[in-house]
Amino acid sequence: MAAIIRTVGLRKVYVTGKERVAALDDVNISIEKGEFCCIVGQSGSGKSTLLNQLAGLEKPTRGKVFIGRHEISAMTEDELARFRQAHLGFIFQSYNLLPSMTAAENVAMPLMFKGIPKAERLARAEKELESMGLKGRAKHLPSEMSGGQQQRVGIARAFVTNPKVIFADEPTGNLDSVTSRQVLFRMLEMTRTSGTTLVMVTHQPELAACADRIVTILDGRVQSDEVQDAAVKEKNRAELLASLEGNTEIGGAAAAAN
Amino acid sequence: MKISDQISLAAKNLSRRKGRTALTVIGVVVGTCLIVVMISLGIAQNQANEEMLASWGDLTQIEVYNGGMTANGEQVTLNDESLESIRALEHVTTATPFYQAYNLNGYVAAGRSDRYQITQLYQFVGLAPEAMEPMGFTLLDGTWLDDSTSYGKDTIPVIVCENTGYNFEDTRKSQNSQKRYRWQGMTDANGNPLEPFVDVNKDDMTLTLVAQSDTGAEKTRSWKLEVVGTIASDYAKGWWTDSGIVVRLKDMKMLMKAYGDLIKDHSLTQTTTYDQVYVKVDDVKNVEDVENAIHDIGFTSTWSSTQQRNDMQQQVARSQMILGGLAAMSLFVSALNIMNTMTMAIYERTREIGIMKVLGCELSDIRRMFLMESGFIGFIGGVIGDLIGLLVSFILNNISTILAVFGASGSLDLSGLMNGGYYYGGTSSAISVIPLWLLAAALLFATLIGLLSGIGPAGKAVKISALEAIRHE
Repeated sequence: MAAIIRTVGLRKVYVTGKERVAALDDVNISIEKGEFCCIVGQSGSGKSTLLNQLAGLEKPTRGKVFIGRHEISAMTEDELARFRQAHLGFIFQSYNLLPSMTAAENVAMPLMFKGIPKAERLARAEKELESMGLKGRAKHLPSEMSGGQQQRVGIARAFVTNPKVIFADEPTGNLDSVTSRQVLFRMLEMTRTSGTTLVMVTHQPELAACADRIVTILDGRVQSDEVQDAAVKEKNRAELLASLEGNTEIGGAAAAAN
Repeated sequence: MKISDQISLAAKNLSRRKGRTALTVIGVVVGTCLIVVMISLGIAQNQANEEMLASWGDLTQIEVYNGGMTANGEQVTLNDESLESIRALEHVTTATPFYQAYNLNGYVAAGRSDRYQITQLYQFVGLAPEAMEPMGFTLLDGTWLDDSTSYGKDTIPVIVCENTGYNFEDTRKSQNSQKRYRWQGMTDANGNPLEPFVDVNKDDMTLTLVAQSDTGAEKTRSWKLEVVGTIASDYAKGWWTDSGIVVRLKDMKMLMKAYGDLIKDHSLTQTTTYDQVYVKVDDVKNVEDVENAIHDIGFTSTWSSTQQRNDMQQQVARSQMILGGLAAMSLFVSALNIMNTMTMAIYERTREIGIMKVLGCELSDIRRMFLMESGFIGFIGGVIGDLIGLLVSFILNNISTILAVFGASGSLDLSGLMNGGYYYGGTSSAISVIPLWLLAAALLFATLIGLLSGIGPAGKAVKISALEAIRHE
């Protein structure tokens, strides 16, 4: 398989007052197409900074970031906006749904930026919500939904454009452990069916244990970058699913996904 | 992003914070409404002035008086040659000398033994016959005068006016007797209207010039008057159109010369220069240009209602500027309001803007979205301001009727506001006149104010760092 994300000598320095802090230093990683990659590390290790660099939300101080053939670290803000529209999806820790919009409208928002007509994008959004097990929630406002439901709306929003890569910054950080596992399960199902590459920052080891690749960051440097043994990974995933058994909400959706 | 989506997003965002939007809109409403009403007062005053000027005289007519000097210091005189150069000017429809027979002494007689007479000849007016129709006189019956028709040496063709007959007096009655005169609207004891002594269209009339020598001997010469037509009274062209007698210019010159022969003195009846020339211009808007062109030829002494019109309009424009300026101030304040509202909105929605950016919303779309919001505020304010302006205008124009409904009486005259006590300012039937263009202009202006006030805040929105905005709190 070909690398879909690649960094070359990536370095990011923050200047605060007279102090220069290297948040990232000489990061060279490569993520394969269709992989589920977890970036783990302690708080302040620079894992979120790395994700922001990979997603083009911040410019590197030095080095390059490639997604496919595109060097996104060299793009202008407008080019990046169009690139995100076309190829990237985002899932946030704090969901970041627009409070004034319904679930369906939130999901349809990236399609709106692409200029897709209202009727079509709402239909696609509702389909996406349905596959996230939120069929009856399309017209609900975020404030009328639980954290787990909101995050599933967020996931639907990331997947609705059929992106090549989805970036998720601690998507389960605000959720309890059961809901966290549900949400991760959802993301895994979605990436498996669509072949999307998923890059996720997390500090929950049991979630990272399900990943294809685990990149560990320490003090801004790559401490380890290992591809998990397929058997270990499958076992971890099976355990995750098993721990969710008896949960009606997820059970129904799992049946639908299979 | 589709424009329709941007519009509905902007509308949605405005309706999300109704109270604040409403307050901001009210600012624009007040400004727009004030501008519309203030300017409408000026327009109404201008209209009133125009009406009044029209009643004073023909708006497209310039009167040129003899005498003046060219730029090179040469004296100019109103004669046939300079008349031609005036006629040749652009936008001049026609020009004619206005030649009054005030030097002539004589009378017009009719009836048996010349019983009925017009005893003064100042109502005789000599005009270029071909100029009468273009000048705008209305022929009631008969034909126009015509230089080419020959009437014989003792006959003069004339055009009379509607009430020329009333100029005849009964010379058998004493000067002090009422019975010597007839005037329009006069009735007999039974209330029946009395006709003039002479029917100018039927009765024979003779013009007689009289020269009295120092010795008391009288020399006279007479012509038969042949009426070819009647023109309607038009006070805008002069009072003489009520009861004057129009003769061809060449006949007037002939009379002048004949009178000079009679009194053996031609100095008073010098006929190569004219005292006054009437110039007709094709359109009111060209009057000023033509008048200036005539000044350039050297005739600096002219009169047209355009001069008065300009003076009045300047006066109104000055008042309009002051009042409109105050109104514009309030719109300026509302612009600050809009800026404030939009800046607040952007601070509140920083996170939202960040999310949109991360999800692939282009910068131009973000800018446009906020410009639309502020433009909307201006537009809505403009529409409501226009409507309230119309309402205020309606109330001003119907104030006495409205007061009457409440059992009070009174009226409103705001003309002083516009004229600054200008003594000949007209009083208008309408206090406030709002033409469609004013509504459109005010609406456009308000929308523009909204858009302009949005530029700064929208720029701020564009500059928001997406990462900062979405960083978890």
